Amino acid sequence: MKRRNFIQSVALSSVGAPLLLKDFKFGAITKELFKVSRTAEDRVLILIRLNGGNDGLSTLVPLDQYDNLVIQRPDILIPENQLITLNATNALHPVMTGMGNMFNDGKLSIIQNVGYPEQNRSHFRSMDIWSTGLMDPAGTTGWLGRHLDNNFPNFPDDYPNASYPDPFAISMGYEVSSTCQGLMANFSTTVVDPFDAFNLQESSQLNDGTYYGSHMEYLATMIAQANDYGAAVNAAANNGSTLSTMYDDNNPLAVQLRYVAQMISGGLQTKIYIVNINGFDTHDSQVEDPGTPALGDHANLLKSVSDAVAAFQDDLNLLSLEQRVAGMTFSEFGRQVAANASLGTDHGDAAPLFLFGTCISSQIIGPNPVISDQIVDQAGIPMQIDFRDVYASVLKDWFQADPTDIQAMFEHTINFIPVLDSCNLGINENKLAGEDVIIFPNPCGEQTTIRMNSKNEEVTIQIRDMFNRLVVDVCSKSFTEGLHDIPVTLGDIPSGEYLVTVMKPSGNFTKRIVKVKHI
Amino acid sequence: MIPDEVIEPSFSLSLTPYSGTWTKDQAAHLLRRTMFGPTFAQIQQAVADGMDATVAQLLTLPITDLPLTYLPNELIVPFGETWVDAVYPTIGPSQVDDARRGSLTAWMIKRINQPTVSIQEKMCLFWNNHFGVEESFDARAIFNLMDLYRSSCLRNFKQLVKDVTLDPSMLAFLNGHTNFQSSPNENYSRELLELFTVGKGPQVGPGDYSNYTEADVAAGAKILTGWSVQGWWSDTLTSPQPVFVASEHDTSDKTLSSHFGGVVISNAGDQEYANYIDAIFAQPNIGKFICRKLYRWFVNYDLTPDVESTIISELNTILEANNFEVLPVIEALIKSEHFYDSSLRGTIIKNPMEFFFSMFNATNSSPNFGLVTNSEMYIRIYYFSRALGMTYFTPPNVGGWTAYYQAPSFSRLWASTGYLNLRSNFVTYLTVNSGIPINGEFFKVNALSFLNGLSQPDNAVQVIDDTVEVFCPNGLSVSNKLLLKSLLTNNLPDFEWTTEYSNYTADPLNNLLSDPVRQQMEQVLNCLFKMPEFQTI
Repeated sequence: MKRRNFIQSVALSSVGAPLLLKDFKFGAITKELFKVSRTAEDRVLILIRLNGGNDGLSTLVPLDQYDNLVIQRPDILIPENQLITLNATNALHPVMTGMGNMFNDGKLSIIQNVGYPEQNRSHFRSMDIWSTGLMDPAGTTGWLGRHLDNNFPNFPDDYPNASYPDPFAISMGYEVSSTCQGLMANFSTTVVDPFDAFNLQESSQLNDGTYYGSHMEYLATMIAQANDYGAAVNAAANNGSTLSTMYDDNNPLAVQLRYVAQMISGGLQTKIYIVNINGFDTHDSQVEDPGTPALGDHANLLKSVSDAVAAFQDDLNLLSLEQRVAGMTFSEFGRQVAANASLGTDHGDAAPLFLFGTCISSQIIGPNPVISDQIVDQAGIPMQIDFRDVYASVLKDWFQADPTDIQAMFEHTINFIPVLDSCNLGINENKLAGEDVIIFPNPCGEQTTIRMNSKNEEVTIQIRDMFNRLVVDVCSKSFTEGLHDIPVTLGDIPSGEYLVTVMKPSGNFTKRIVKVKHI
Repeated sequence: MIPDEVIEPSFSLSLTPYSGTWTKDQAAHLLRRTMFGPTFAQIQQAVADGMDATVAQLLTLPITDLPLTYLPNELIVPFGETWVDAVYPTIGPSQVDDARRGSLTAWMIKRINQPTVSIQEKMCLFWNNHFGVEESFDARAIFNLMDLYRSSCLRNFKQLVKDVTLDPSMLAFLNGHTNFQSSPNENYSRELLELFTVGKGPQVGPGDYSNYTEADVAAGAKILTGWSVQGWWSDTLTSPQPVFVASEHDTSDKTLSSHFGGVVISNAGDQEYANYIDAIFAQPNIGKFICRKLYRWFVNYDLTPDVESTIISELNTILEANNFEVLPVIEALIKSEHFYDSSLRGTIIKNPMEFFFSMFNATNSSPNFGLVTNSEMYIRIYYFSRALGMTYFTPPNVGGWTAYYQAPSFSRLWASTGYLNLRSNFVTYLTVNSGIPINGEFFKVNALSFLNGLSQPDNAVQVIDDTVEVFCPNGLSVSNKLLLKSLLTNNLPDFEWTTEYSNYTADPLNNLLSDPVRQQMEQVLNCLFKMPEFQTI
């Protein structure tokens, strides 16, 4: 651990969070980071690849189908009373306490039955389909690569440069991510440890049009990029910090995500990070023993994912980066409904996909799968939501890409679904969806606005600090039915986190805001 | 940057035996592609011998030695003797297995670090990549599979598929040993079709991948039910063996799809798997899949429509005409006009094994410090290679290493920014720094031995020319050669190098004279091994 991080960890344990924020954070981190995410430029997307095909039915259990699941997978099904209940019909695997808590905090969204038509059950072909977002086997560009090509068409020529000194995408580990394959080059640079400095010997190579010449140019470019991007990554890592104590050093995914938080907090302008966890191809030993189906390889994998994501979200919260960062999981397919005889499951079709962050649109999208009371050979979960629609919606909601451009990136007619749009209200004046409260900007300076729906009723709005002390008594008065924007002056209260409470007969809401000094 | 940018070079598309000039360029190309790092002397010898004799030598398999016990926790077999057919102790088999794995790992790496002119190790790695088996429970089983790959590397592909199907490590790896009639496990059945034999074609309908269907996967799983393994860590059996348990075998008729002519595979007990594989191999053009993989391994990643319709198609014809014997295919390929076309030189970025052993083998560098120290040094190299993304025995998945199938990057995946940084660090470590330290000894690139093996070691210009010939498939620019020469001569006039080298040869055991010569040559290799021109074969 870097000495500076160590000091920060000590500081974290000895004082309350608001004081901590006030003490060092605004000095250590550029004020740039505390601007409201007005534009997609500031936003970061984390992709978590669950390699091998995650068993969705053991991850998110459809409680209303439980009786039939007993028929389909008696040896590997986890007892209902051990599951983490999310609502009347959905429950998570017992090890997923971290993501369960995120769900309760409104920071986890689940899209059910995600897949594509005519599922291909080959790991390789299916991962290609998920990486490219294309069904055409001839397609080799990644879905994020195409998005980046639209914005930076000359990559990699002339990059990095003064305007874009940082990698557009970072793939944690040694292999670039196929999702970022552009027309001319892969947009992702690989990072194993961002504290590593690069000092490679450079050379200039011209491409004479042969395979060899093309390799030479590629290698020379990669060496130059390794040095330039390596220096930028290194500087950001040294400038950044992480604050969560929830990361487990023995969890490889947590280690990757902590590095990601370190780089984001250090001001790296990278837009996309890809992290990986292997091992989901659970043909056997998915559970350790029929007597203890909540233990085994799959449980260990889900625990790694859930713990790592929860630690990362905790960190983003402590770093006041939550509004800039959203994440998504993906896996090449789900697994078959019925278990096999090896305490495992074979390749299947659709599965749930997770989105996380404070900007998620809704909590559970799509109905539960329907499980038959008969075992049908090779049956998987039918696709209901096309993963390409999820990708397209992420590009629209999160990166604010133009829908026409997005449509041009995919083969089918896109059906946009709101996935990550709840922080966009301050950006483009969308109507408030449902009975909710939006505060913008947030983080904020001395002024902010509370947007809420009310009936014809008496509404009290208060702002309290983390010790529940009243800081600002915003109002207590009658409102007419409809949407209201209530300006709030925070004045010179200390920087830090506060809770805004809206109390009204039709429902109470509490939202967290962050006050910063400079905005 | 990607294949699109390649101006379709016009190259020979003929398998006609190459009859052009036979110089060091062609000879070095042949050896680089079929070995891990030919020496200067081997290249000269191949020039002298000609293509036919060199290919004949490459296709002759050497007699291989066996892995030997070197760790104290091997309780059964004495130090220095082989354990490959020894039983395990009743008590403490796991520590014995650890000892055997250590021995096996060191031996596998040592096999690559041989001066033999043979294609065997390149083929052994090819079959490791093709079948993708991860190491299994019992070191003897892993050895047996590696032995199968080596001994069968140029023999019959169909028979190899049959042998691998019942190989205990494969049965364990893809759940063939827990595939019961009550609940078939599709893992092996799917990969047998998708990755090992016919390959996956475009998806032309629900569950239909052109060459096979999901129903075939399910039928195959049933056909393959009933196999298990006995003898893991056995204290009586000298190797793990496949066992057929008739009561676990699905005896129903299994009907294959129209892609296999709708053939019905009836119950045939422990021979049913072979009938099934015969049925698979009856599919027209089945050989194209393995021919493409051989092509990508030995020639180029880019299977253009032209290459597909000429080279691949003709290789398949040779394979089928020879009843799936591999040797005639490889012989035709590495003797062909296509193979020697100069526009197909340097088209493959070295994998980590090729990276390390082009440095070691081409410089005659192998550890010579006794069994224990040598073995530990080889194990260190095993881990180095793993750090660069290639772990012998454990490819990242059953499809092998991504560099051999992932379009459009292919072998460029070995050269990400992170890997290039590591490669650079390894070069420094193994050339100008002191190398791998084990038990007080050091193993590194032997720059002096390399230098002494060149045509005119006292001539600075010739030293650089020879060095480039050994390591760079398409030469080096004049300016880069001058850079290397300036490192060799320490920026002094060339005759100073001649003097320095002559002084050294007059008194070769005098470190005061040999050290500067060695160090200057190390600087040359350190610089060259970090250049893009070194990274391809």
